[in-house]
This record gives sequence, C-alpha cells and structure tokens, in this order.
Amino acid sequence: MPGFLKDFFNRNGIGMGTAILGLVLFWTIGLIILPQLSMLDFSFRPNLPPPEIGGPKDVYTLENYKYLIYGPEGGSQSYNAVDLRVFFRTLLAAVCVTIFNLILCYPIAYYLGQSKGSHIRIFAIMLIIPYWINEILRAFALRIIFGETGVLNTLFMGLGIWDTPFDFIRNDIALYAGLGYAYILLMIFPMYNVIESLDGNQIEAARDLGAPWWRIHWRVVIPYAKPGISSGCTMVFMLSAGALAAPQILGGPSSLWFTQLIYQQFNDNNDWPQGAAYAIVLLVTCILFVLAMMRLFKVNMGDIGK
Amino acid sequence: MSAGVGVDLENLWIRFGDFVAVRDANVNINGGDFFSFLGPSGCGKTTILRAVSGFLDPSEGRVLIGGKDMRGIGPNKRPTALIFQNLALFPLMKVWENITFSMEIKGASAAQRRKRADELLDMIALPGQGDKLPSELSGGQRQRVAIARALCAEPDVLLLDEPLSALDLKLRQHMRTELREIQQRVGITFIYITHDQGEALTMSDNIAVMRAGVIDQIADGKTIYNDPNTAFAASFVGENNVFRGKIKQVMGSEALIATNRSGDLVARISTANQGKLKEGDDAMMFIRPEAFAIAADGASGDHFVTARVNHEEFEGNVFNIFTEGDGGKEIKVSLPNLGQSFEDHTGQNITLEYETRNAVLVPAGELAAE
Amino acid sequence: MNNSFLRISIWVYLAIFFLYLLGPLVIMSVTAFNSSAFPRMTPWECLTFQWFGELFQDQRILNGIKNSLIIGAGTVVLSVAMGLAGALMLTQIWPKLRATYYTIIIAPILIPGVVLGISTLVFWDRINRMLGLGADSFLSNGIFLTVIGQSTFIASYCMLVLVARLQRYDIALTEAALDLGATHAQAFCKILLPFMRPAIASAAVLAFLASFENYNTTTFTFGEYPTLTIELAQKVRYGITPAISALAFIIVALTVFFALMNEAKLKRQELVAAARKKATVEELAGKIKLPSFFAGNMAAVLLVVFAVATITVVGTATAYNPGQCIANVKEQKRLEAEQRIQELRKQREEQRKKREAEEAEQGGAQQSAPKPSNNSGFGNVFAPNALGSDAEEESSDTETPPSNNGGFGGAFDPNTLQNDQ
Repeated sequence: MPGFLKDFFNRNGIGMGTAILGLVLFWTIGLIILPQLSMLDFSFRPNLPPPEIGGPKDVYTLENYKYLIYGPEGGSQSYNAVDLRVFFRTLLAAVCVTIFNLILCYPIAYYLGQSKGSHIRIFAIMLIIPYWINEILRAFALRIIFGETGVLNTLFMGLGIWDTPFDFIRNDIALYAGLGYAYILLMIFPMYNVIESLDGNQIEAARDLGAPWWRIHWRVVIPYAKPGISSGCTMVFMLSAGALAAPQILGGPSSLWFTQLIYQQFNDNNDWPQGAAYAIVLLVTCILFVLAMMRLFKVNMGDIGK
Repeated sequence: MSAGVGVDLENLWIRFGDFVAVRDANVNINGGDFFSFLGPSGCGKTTILRAVSGFLDPSEGRVLIGGKDMRGIGPNKRPTALIFQNLALFPLMKVWENITFSMEIKGASAAQRRKRADELLDMIALPGQGDKLPSELSGGQRQRVAIARALCAEPDVLLLDEPLSALDLKLRQHMRTELREIQQRVGITFIYITHDQGEALTMSDNIAVMRAGVIDQIADGKTIYNDPNTAFAASFVGENNVFRGKIKQVMGSEALIATNRSGDLVARISTANQGKLKEGDDAMMFIRPEAFAIAADGASGDHFVTARVNHEEFEGNVFNIFTEGDGGKEIKVSLPNLGQSFEDHTGQNITLEYETRNAVLVPAGELAAE
Repeated sequence: MNNSFLRISIWVYLAIFFLYLLGPLVIMSVTAFNSSAFPRMTPWECLTFQWFGELFQDQRILNGIKNSLIIGAGTVVLSVAMGLAGALMLTQIWPKLRATYYTIIIAPILIPGVVLGISTLVFWDRINRMLGLGADSFLSNGIFLTVIGQSTFIASYCMLVLVARLQRYDIALTEAALDLGATHAQAFCKILLPFMRPAIASAAVLAFLASFENYNTTTFTFGEYPTLTIELAQKVRYGITPAISALAFIIVALTVFFALMNEAKLKRQELVAAARKKATVEELAGKIKLPSFFAGNMAAVLLVVFAVATITVVGTATAYNPGQCIANVKEQKRLEAEQRIQELRKQREEQRKKREAEEAEQGGAQQSAPKPSNNSGFGNVFAPNALGSDAEEESSDTETPPSNNGGFGGAFDPNTLQNDQ
C-alpha cells in the first residue's frame, strides 16, 4: 500500500477511511470524470436507433462536429451559418453580460467590503434573497416588466418618452437584463470576499499621498481584488454562456442561444450524439476562453472558487 | 515507585521523507517516574511523544510500554493519555462531559459519569464548575480540566506536550508544583515535553536533553545541571559562560586548557568524558555566572580570569556584571545580593575567581541558540 | 464638496442597484393580487385572491412540488455527504495531488448545467445498456438521474461551505478523542460532526435551494418526474398567468421570512454571547429577557413588520370580495372593447379603401403585402393561453395607440407596424 494511503487509513481508521474514499471516488470518477468522457465518446458516434448501438454501424465519426461547421450534407450553404452565428453570438453576448455585471457590481462589492455598520448585513440579505428565488421566476418577473404592456413601457409611454411600446424582448434587452440579473450575486461575492480583506489603511495611505479616487482603485484596489474579479467573471461568463432558462423565457422568437440548439437536438430532434457534440464544443470553447483570459490577466486557477 | 508501567524506546528512528526527526533514541523510563524530554523547538521531542501515544509509526526501532511492543496498536488502544499543547478540550461539551469522555466511549451511564466528574473536579480543586463550557474557564482552570480528562481514562502513562506554555509566568510556576503533586498522588508514569529547563528541573525525576533529533544526555536534574555531557547540554540547561580552547594537559579528572582569550585555565572534565578527552583536543569549558567571585586585584593563576567590564545591572536578588568574553560573547557574573555594597566597575578591568569543581570541561561542540 | 457629491452618487447608485435587484420581485409579487388575467401592475383592476386558489388547484404544480421535495431531499443527503468527504479529503490529501484534486472537484461549478445534464444522461444510459437493463430500470429513473446530476455540482458548493469551517477545526480534537479510547467512527460522530453542524446545516439549505431551483441540468434528466421548476418553465414559456405570480409571491414571502428570522436569530445569539461574556454565572439565569430580542436587532424588527404586512395583505385579499369590482371592470372593458371594435372597423374600412385605391393605381404590383399577421406574431410567444383570451387582452390594452392594428400582436412583429404606417 502506498505511503499516502497508509497514512490516510491510519488517520481516519479503516471504516471511516473507506467511507470517505468511497464517496470521493464516486463523486470525482463516477459523477465528474466518467460522464464527461462518456459524453465525449458519444459525440463521435453516429445517431443510431438503440438496437444498432454496438453493431457494425457504431463507428467513430467526425460527422457531428462537421455538422456544426458545414451544416447538413447536400445543404444549400457551404457553412452552417445559422448554428455558427448562434454560437458566436452566444459567446459575444456572454462576454457583454460579464462586462456589464463587472461594472455594475464592482462599486457595490467595494462599498460592502470597505464600510462598516449593521446596515451592511441587511444589504447582504437583500443581495441574497433574489438568489434564493427560483431562476424561472426571476426570468418571469423580468418578463412582466419588459412585456409590451409591462411596467417599463407603461412608465415610459406615460411619461411621453416614446409613444409606441418598445419591444424589449425582440431586441434582446430583456435577455441581457435577465442574464445579468441572474448572476449578480456570483459576481459580487468573490469580489466582496477579497476586498473585505484589504486593509483600509492602504487606501488611506494612498489618499494621503494625494492619489485621486480613480487612481486608488486602479493602482491599489483592483490589483488586490484581481483574484476575486477573475473568479466572479469566470463564473458569470460560464453560467451566462451555459444559461438555458433565461434565453428560453426572455429570448426573442428569432434569436436563439447555443444551449437552446443543444436542447433542441436532444428533445426535439432526438439526436443525442449531435447534442453531445454541441455540448462538448460549448464546454471546450468556454474553458479555452476562460484559460486564455486568465493568461492574459495573469491569474491562477487556484484563485477560482475562493 | 516501581509499581507504575515503564516505557522503553529501543533504537527508535523516525523519518519524514528525507528528514530525520529522531535519530536512534534509546531511553528507559521507569514506571512511576516523572520523565522530561527537554530541548529547543524542532528537536524531535514532540515526535517521540506522538510515537509513544500511537499517532506516529516509528520508521525503525520499537516503543515498548510495560514491556509490550506497541507496533500496530492504535492510539485508542494504548494505555496512554496525552495532554495536548493547546489542551484540545472539546469546545462544545461542558466541563464534566469533557472530563468523562473516556467513560462515554465505554458506554457508562450519565449518573456514573457525573459522579466520577465530581470526584475529579474536587481533585483538581474546581468543585461545582462541571456545567461550564471550557471557553468560560481561565487558562489555569482549563489546564486542570485537561489533566482531569486524561486521568479519567485511567492511563498507565500520562504524556504531556508542553501543557504550560500558554500560561503566564506566575501560573506556570504554580502549575509546576501542582503537576508534581498530582503525579505523586496518582503514582503513574508522566512523560513531559518542554523547552523550559526550569520546568524540567523542578518537576522531573529524570531528564533527556535533546538536540536536532539526538538525545545528548539522560540523567536527573542535578547531574544535567552540574555535570553536562556535551556543550549543547551545558549551554541549553541554565545560563553558562563558555571558554573555548585546546587541552594542554590532562591531570586525572582535571585538565589544563589554553583558552583563546584568558590564558591557561584549569577545569574538571565532565564525568562522561573522562578518559576520552586527550591533550590537543578542542574543548569548551563552562562556568556558571553564580560560580564566579571577585578576586583581589592583581591575583593571577589557573583559576583567575581578568576581563574588562562592559556594563552592570541590578536584578534585586542578584547583581550582574557583564565583561568582555570569548568570541564576542560576554561573560556574565552573578553575585548574590546579601546586603553588601556594590561598586561600579564599568570600563575597568576586574579579576574573577572560580573553584575548579565548578568549571566543567566538555568536547567542543554546537552551542544552544541564545 | 467633492466628498458630498461622491456620497450622494454612492447612494443614488445603491438605490438604482437595489431597484434593479428587488424591483422585479416586488412587481411580480404585486401582480399576484391584480385580477387582470395577464400578470401586470398597471392598469390596476381589482384586488383579488383568486390566483392563489387557481394555483392550489393546479395538479401539475402540486405534483411538481412533490417531485421537487423528493429530489431535493435526495440531493441534500448525497451532496452533503460527498461534499463533506471531499472537504475532508482536501485537508489531508497528498500535497502533490492537491491542486489537481481541487480542480476536479471545483470544476462542476464552472461546467454549464446543460453539459452536466447531458453527460449524466448519456453516461447512465450507457451503464444501463451495459448492464442489459430495460428502459424502465432504476438507473434510467428520472428521480435517480436528477439527484445524481444535480449532486455533481451541488456537492462542490457544499464542499466549499464545509471546507471553510473545517479549516478552523483543530485536528488535535480528533486525536484527543482517539487518545481517550474512542474509535475513529466515534471521534467522527461525537467530535467532528457536532463541530461541523452549523456548516452542515448551511450546506444542506444551500443544497436544497440549489436543487429546488435548478433547471439547466434537470431539464435533461427529469424523465417522468418533472420538478416544480420544470413545470414553471413550461408554463412560462407557453403563456404567463398571475397564478405564477401567486406562487412567486409565496416563495418570496417565505424566503424573506426565513432570511429575516435567521438574521434575527444570529443577532440574538451575538447579543446573548456579548451579555454572557460580561455577566457572571449568577446573572446569566435571570438577565436575558424576551424584550431584549428586539434591542439593537434591526432584523428582528423588520421581521415583525414584514410578518404583519404579509398577514394584512393576504388577510385583506381573502376577506375582500372582488366580485363587484370585477364585474365593474368587465363592464367597462366590454364598453371599451366595443368602442375599439368600432374604431377598428372604421380604420379597416379606411385602409381597405386606401388600398383599393393604391391597387388600382399600381395594378396589383404589390400583391405580396402581408395581411395583418397579428395572430402568428402573437402566438409565437404566448401561444395557447393568449389565443383563448384574445379579446380580453386586446381590450385591456387601452393605452396602446390605434396605429397598432392587432392591438397586441403588432408589438411583436415590426413588419406589421411598418405595414400599418
């Protein structure tokens, strides 16, 4: 038995050690690693009816990935313009949502992290409560507000700012607002955690030296909060790109989210391998994108999730 | 006192990767003894304790308790109880639940446990405090609860890992007396880990002085203090002045050494090194501050040292004189305050006198860090 | 001057921020009490409680709640257990493996929920086939798959919560218990678990809420056991009714209530602890009395205010009989609708005349101009429900200017708008 395992069982006892190790292995291998590998494998197989699975036709193929790029064989276009456009639009929109959230949340994270007093805890509760409400209901709430006879249109038309209802949904404003809304907390908390640990004296010192407030943030607070910022941005980006509920409820009828394509492949077209391939593309692209960004801003993986 | 259960370490090696924490330790601890491991932090004494209590497996060698090899026996099966450095009282349990935890494990009833807790609380002079939480007690009280909790398990050997280090000086001195009393009352073997030579000297029947995983000397307190084996033991236990030099001449149990600074001086060779130190060897001579006296001006010979006084200080019970010494170190002289008048010697040369039996000669070696 | 400007802008910013955060929830809650068949705040019609009644008669919602509770319970047990094991492993794993291990167990938080759902479905389907089991086996059961899929990432959240507390645990406590004769299991149950209890409780609540509201993963795995969230999504996607607002109101009220209660309890514990530190044992017994529950405890005050307000609103809504009001509104609507229909007729007549004139001019060249496509544009989003209540929707839409020929659907279809102008 290797030294590590021997120490482990010495420390935890045979019974407890086995239970801990068993649960960890089940989680990491049975729930995390194998399903992902299985999905990867599946994405390289043709869509076959159940009896033919494992049969002679069940061979590895790049067909599902080709489909995303070139579209159906014998299709009229040389590229699968529809799906590719959805794909890139999803990524771009997720980036926009992330930036929007960062700008919106940085001040509040800074404010909460650096001020003292009992009202901070009430603010914290006010932040957390929306996060406890069902994702669908939050999207539904925005649907009520952004609807053509919703509060906003009523308000603006009442004020005479515009006189025909503005279609927030078709213009995707409702969608972006909803995605931003959904992940506010995930942006604030990592930043808040880091900024809270920043010694207020550092800011005082910078102010003493005559630095204007924007410079204090640029040179002192933001470099310090970088792990929190990157952690928050990563989570918001991944979750927005992978969101399904908000696009389904708030998205305009003609603009799809990439996850909706995956959903269609699974539930409407019943083409699991194709859906798995799309899921793999989404996962890999998001991970590569996040890694590239982390490289660009010089952040470590270990900072994520803190 | 031989009624208690003894502990033996035989050729004990403990390694962590490439690092050797304990190097070939051989110790026999008699049953019923109060035995201390004394050494600076990081010398491996806690490692030895963990090997005895069963949290660590020795890399080589054996741990025997009551003559029985303990290999493969877990900490919960050994007849030992450990008092942790931070005490490790269970914060969510009341004092009486803490004390009788070992009975709870064995399935004793609450009434039995309460009764036993009350007895032990009386013994540690905390009657009626059983329903408090550990966090509501003072440092000294927590200390006593930890001892009661360990004693409740009725161990054959009680292991104590620097349990007094968190207390303030007054309390520490008080607890020394108390620990010794408790040990004599229950009559079991105590193994005590400390870096405080005062604690080791006041409480122990025997002391093992440890340095970097090696045991330098095992003896009772007086022997360790008066007749150290090594330069480390001499410099670690109590204050000591060192004189370096080469042995010029060996005369039975005494020797003449040519010191680097103070000419030829005579010293007694420590018992363990008699017959081993030869002429021409590098050696170190140690003289305690209180072993000096001020000699008349102009006196000279092989037990006189002349040096310039750097500064002086009055400490109440003693009067300290610091003179220039060997290798940048000062020579400290402590004269007892018997009501005599002290004149200020700062900047002057004075002559110090010592008796040969108070100058101990050991082979040159590593000194304890200040 | 600069400073006070900064201060004011901070408060303005905070106000806007919390308006964005809480406004939608408030508006949604309010719409639950409006008798309008479409959830809206303006125009206010009548205070009603009917949507709550409708909600509790909806068999699919009730069934969804039941499934959600079962799945939630399963997920809590599995993910707290795995999270605790994962956290324990993290504190003692071989240092060289630590970074890799941490990346693996934290990854599910970042993997899109859709991907987790698919991979769970695909993997267990394959296992099922490998074992030669049928389509109705345990491994392809919706509840099993959903619990497994959700736990994959919820366990990561639990792990983070638990490891934060575990880092403050003194391993010497476990060693002390072992040293006093406890077995490893006894030391775990009697020392570590009680210490971890607050964190385990937080993790369990978090896990349950995460499970309850999960959509992305569940939507692939639920099989024949749709959860409440799935049912809600179906309803919201194909037409929204104030019954959903009613459900939202209940959830919001419960959430606020429990959040405030928890905060008040924490604050009280703090106060008690502070008092305990100062007081001697003799004083402890008598000193802390109930009224001090409120002293310096803003959350407790808010809690009471909130509870009273909720009871008042719900009480009024149930006691109040909106029948007369609804009848009035109906009558008014009918009149308005008639008026609108008249107007529309007139409009169409004019248009027709115009068009005829144009067609006569252009000789039918513009044949393909679309007919008013209000129904299709409308149905895209609100399909079944909206079609049924078309008349009501149309008539209540009083503020819409008449340039919009379909009343409602036009808003969704710019083409129609263009055609009209």
